[in-house]
Amino acid sequence: MPPTSTVYASTRPISLDHLLADRDDLWRGRRRRPAPARSTGHAALDAQLPTGGWARGKLTELVPDRAGGGELDLLLPCLAECTREGRSVVFASPPLVPCPQRLHRAGVDLARVLVVRAPDHALWAAEQCLKSGLCGAVVAWPQRAQVNERAMRRLQLAAENGEAPLFVCYPPGCPAPPSLAALRLAVHAGGELEVLRSAQGPGAGPIRLAPDNVVPLAARRRALEARA
Amino acid sequence: MRRTVHNAALWTGVVCPRLALEGAGRMRAPGNDAAERPRAAHDTIGGQLRLVAVDEVAARMGVRTGQALTDALAIAPTLDSQPRDRRAEAAWLEDLALVAYGFSHQVALTGDGVVLEVGGSRRLHGPLDTLLASLEEALAPLGMTTVLGVAPVAAAAGLMARAGARAETPDELERRLADWPIERLELAPAERRKLAGLGLKRVRDLVALPRFELDRRLGQGVGRYLDQLRGRLDTPLVYWQPPETFSRLVELPVPVRRTEALVFVLNRVLDGLEHWLRVRDERLTALHVTLFPEDQGPKIAFSAGLGQPGFQRDRLLEILRLKLEPVRITADIERLKVEADSVSGQRPPQADLWSGTNINDAWPALLDRLGARIGEDGLCGVAPKSDHRPEKAWAWTKPGTTAVAEDTPERPAWLLPEPRPCRIDALRLIDGPERIETGWWDGQDCRRDYWVAHDERGHRLWVFREYKPRDGWFVHGVFG
Repeated sequence: MPPTSTVYASTRPISLDHLLADRDDLWRGRRRRPAPARSTGHAALDAQLPTGGWARGKLTELVPDRAGGGELDLLLPCLAECTREGRSVVFASPPLVPCPQRLHRAGVDLARVLVVRAPDHALWAAEQCLKSGLCGAVVAWPQRAQVNERAMRRLQLAAENGEAPLFVCYPPGCPAPPSLAALRLAVHAGGELEVLRSAQGPGAGPIRLAPDNVVPLAARRRALEARA
Repeated sequence: MRRTVHNAALWTGVVCPRLALEGAGRMRAPGNDAAERPRAAHDTIGGQLRLVAVDEVAARMGVRTGQALTDALAIAPTLDSQPRDRRAEAAWLEDLALVAYGFSHQVALTGDGVVLEVGGSRRLHGPLDTLLASLEEALAPLGMTTVLGVAPVAAAAGLMARAGARAETPDELERRLADWPIERLELAPAERRKLAGLGLKRVRDLVALPRFELDRRLGQGVGRYLDQLRGRLDTPLVYWQPPETFSRLVELPVPVRRTEALVFVLNRVLDGLEHWLRVRDERLTALHVTLFPEDQGPKIAFSAGLGQPGFQRDRLLEILRLKLEPVRITADIERLKVEADSVSGQRPPQADLWSGTNINDAWPALLDRLGARIGEDGLCGVAPKSDHRPEKAWAWTKPGTTAVAEDTPERPAWLLPEPRPCRIDALRLIDGPERIETGWWDGQDCRRDYWVAHDERGHRLWVFREYKPRDGWFVHGVFG
C-alpha cells in the first residue's frame, strides 16, 4: 500500500479555494456559487459574464438600439446548441421575420423553432413554454405596453421552474422596468455589447464580439470563379 | 380439484332509485345555497304538477312523492323542486350503460337502470363479490345513487336490484320471490287490481295458482311474466350497443353564461365521453362544442383539437376553458351540444420510467394549450422555400416542419415581411452586389442588385437596387 503522501504529491497542486468551491454542502458567506449557465457561444462574452454564459432558469434582459438590432445574432449560437440537444426554442412575437436561411446556416434545426405570432399573447405564451420545462430557450419581444415590472416578475418566476434561459428584448427606446434580472445587456450597432447590470455590477466597457466569419461577396465570387 | 362452474348465466341489475331527483340536478353547477335545502323533482301528472321524487331532508319535513307541488311548498317553503328532466335521465342511463358495457357485452336498458350478464365475465373479473365491487367502483364517478342486485335470469335482475337482494341460483331466487308481496312485480295497474280482488297477496299465492286459472282470469301475459322471472322462459331483451359516434345535446336546467358553470356541464359530458372512448376503443382527436343561447340567439361554436389523439381530462378541460374565455357570451345558454371526432386504436399513455412524464406527449399538449388561446395560425415554424426571390424564399409553416435550406450567400437574421422603399443617400454600401434576376416564367420577373449597407448609426442593412419591374432602392432585411 503506497503511503498517502505520494498520492497527494502525484496530483497537481490545487488551491484551497478550488477544493471548497467543489463542495455543495458548504456555505461560504457572501460568496455566491455561480449559477448554472449555458455558453453564449462567444468566448469574449463568456469571459465577461459573471455566470460564464447565459444563466439557466434566469431572466436575461437585452436592450437593443433598434428592432432587430443584433440580439438574434447574439443568441444564435446558444439557440443552435439548444436545438442540437433536441430541445425547442421559442420566439415570442419577434418584430421581424427570422430568416430561415440564416438560422439554418447558424446551425439551428428549423423543425425545433416555434414562432408565436400573436403580440397580445406573447408574454403569456412565453410563460406557458417556460412552465412546461420542455423548451431549450425562450426569447420574447414584448410590446411597449406590455413592459412592466409585474409582467417581468411573472416571467422570471416561470423561468425558475425550468433550466431554459429566458431572454426578453425590450422595444427600442422603451425604458427597462425595475426587475430581478440577473443580467441586462445593451446591444449597440455593429454587435457592440454593454453590460448595464450584472451580479458584479455594470461592465467596465463595451464588449466587441469577434465578427462571425462572413465571406464577403467579392471573395465568394472569386472562389467560385477559381473552382470553375 | 374441484372447479367452479363459471359459464352459468348470471345477471346483475343496476337501478338508480333516485334517478328523477338526481337527473334533474345533474347539470346544475353547485351554488352557494345548495347546503341543506330540501330538494325534489316534479312532473306534470294529470294536468297538475306533482312531486315524483324527494330527498331525505324533504321527506323529514313531511313532503311525499305524489303530492301536488303547491301542497309541498306549503309544507316546506324552502323546497327546491326541479322539473323532471327526462333527457338528462336518458343521457345518464346511457353513461351507466357505457360503464356496464365495460363489464359485459350483454347490456340492456331498463327504465330505471340496466341489467348486464356477468356469468361470462367472472373468469376475467374474479368471483362475484370482487366483480360487484369493481362494478360499484366504476359506477361511483358517475355521481348517481345506484343499487345492485343479482339474479340468474335477466327479468328478475332488475327486481332484485330494486330490493337490493342477491340470488345466485334458480332455487334461491324461487325462495326469495315466494315471500315477496305482489306489488313488487312489474305488473300493469289493471292486473294488480284484479289480483288484489282475488285476495292474492304474496308471489307464493300467485305461483300456486293453476296456470289454466291464471290465464283465464288475467290473460296470458302474467303467466308468461312469471315463467320469465323463474327462468322457465327466455326473456326477450334488446341488447344495448354503444353508439358509433359520440354526440350529446344537453338542456341546461337553468340557463347560464358563466364560464365556470359551462365548464362544469362540459366536465359532466366528458364523463360519458371517457367511457365511450374506452368502450369503442377510440382516441379523441377533436371536440366540437356548440352553445345555443336563449331566445334563438346566434349560436356559438368552437372546436378544441388535440395535437395527439388521446383523452386526458385535465388537459381537455383546460383547453375548453381557454377556448371559452375569449368568447363573449351575451345571452344565457340554454342548450349545448358536444360532438367528438376520434380515431380508432387506443394507445395507453406511456410515461417515462424515471421522471413519470412523457416529453413526446407533453410537447403536443403544450402546443394544444397555446393554440387554444392564440389560434392555430399564431403558432408556426419558419421554413426556407426554394425560390431565388428572397421575399418568396421563406414561408410560415406548421411548427415542427423539417426543412433544409439551400446554400445561399449571406442572409440577414431578420427579414422585413415586405421590402420597403428607402433612400440611398443616407446609406454606405459595404458589400455586393449580389445580382438576382429571375421570375420571368411566372410573369413576376425582376432584376435586382442586393447590397450590404451601413446606415448612419452603423446598423447593417440588407438593401437592393431594383431595375425591373420598378426602379429604386429598397430595404429588405436587418443584420443582427
